[in-house]
Amino acid sequence: MITPQTITDYVRQVLADAQVIVTDLTGTMDHLNVRVVSDGFKGKNLLDRHRLIYQALDEPLKDGRIHALELTAETTDGS
Amino acid sequence: MAHPIEEEIQRELKEHTILIYGKGTKTAPQCGFTVETMEFFNQFGYPYEIINVLENPEKREVLTQMTNWPTLPKVFINGQFYGDTDVLGPMQSKGELKPLLDKAFQPAD
Repeated sequence: MITPQTITDYVRQVLADAQVIVTDLTGTMDHLNVRVVSDGFKGKNLLDRHRLIYQALDEPLKDGRIHALELTAETTDGS
Repeated sequence: MAHPIEEEIQRELKEHTILIYGKGTKTAPQCGFTVETMEFFNQFGYPYEIINVLENPEKREVLTQMTNWPTLPKVFINGQFYGDTDVLGPMQSKGELKPLLDKAFQPAD
């Protein structure tokens, strides 16, 4: 189990300007949809954007606080 | 001498144009995202293979190192890594995926 704030803190360690929207997919707060909006994604393809988020959330993924993740990664102008 | 598991993976990648490493099998998937990936590819009508690595931590680790991608399922098209439906979905809506698949399944003339 993990809180949206903790996820946001982790993501901001890698993407300082990130806006992070967390949706609980199953009610157990460990199967999550995480939407990240950051200009740190500019010039990066989708794979690399998601890799950045996975790197940021490496710890809670490894220790099981997060069990499953659905990701979206956009820049502030939605591209 | 390449790692035997790497050789096994390279062989599997050559055998299957669309290859999904996931949890469970086609007939008994054991993860919602593996099912979702199957349903995603069912839209296109092209054949795909699911290789179950749920009980194979060593192979999962090699795959993770190879792709710098920590989660399953892992999708490969024509031996190229494409992440999962979080990546393939947006590619589809931008019209990039169908041409890629059509080309991948075109008989080599």
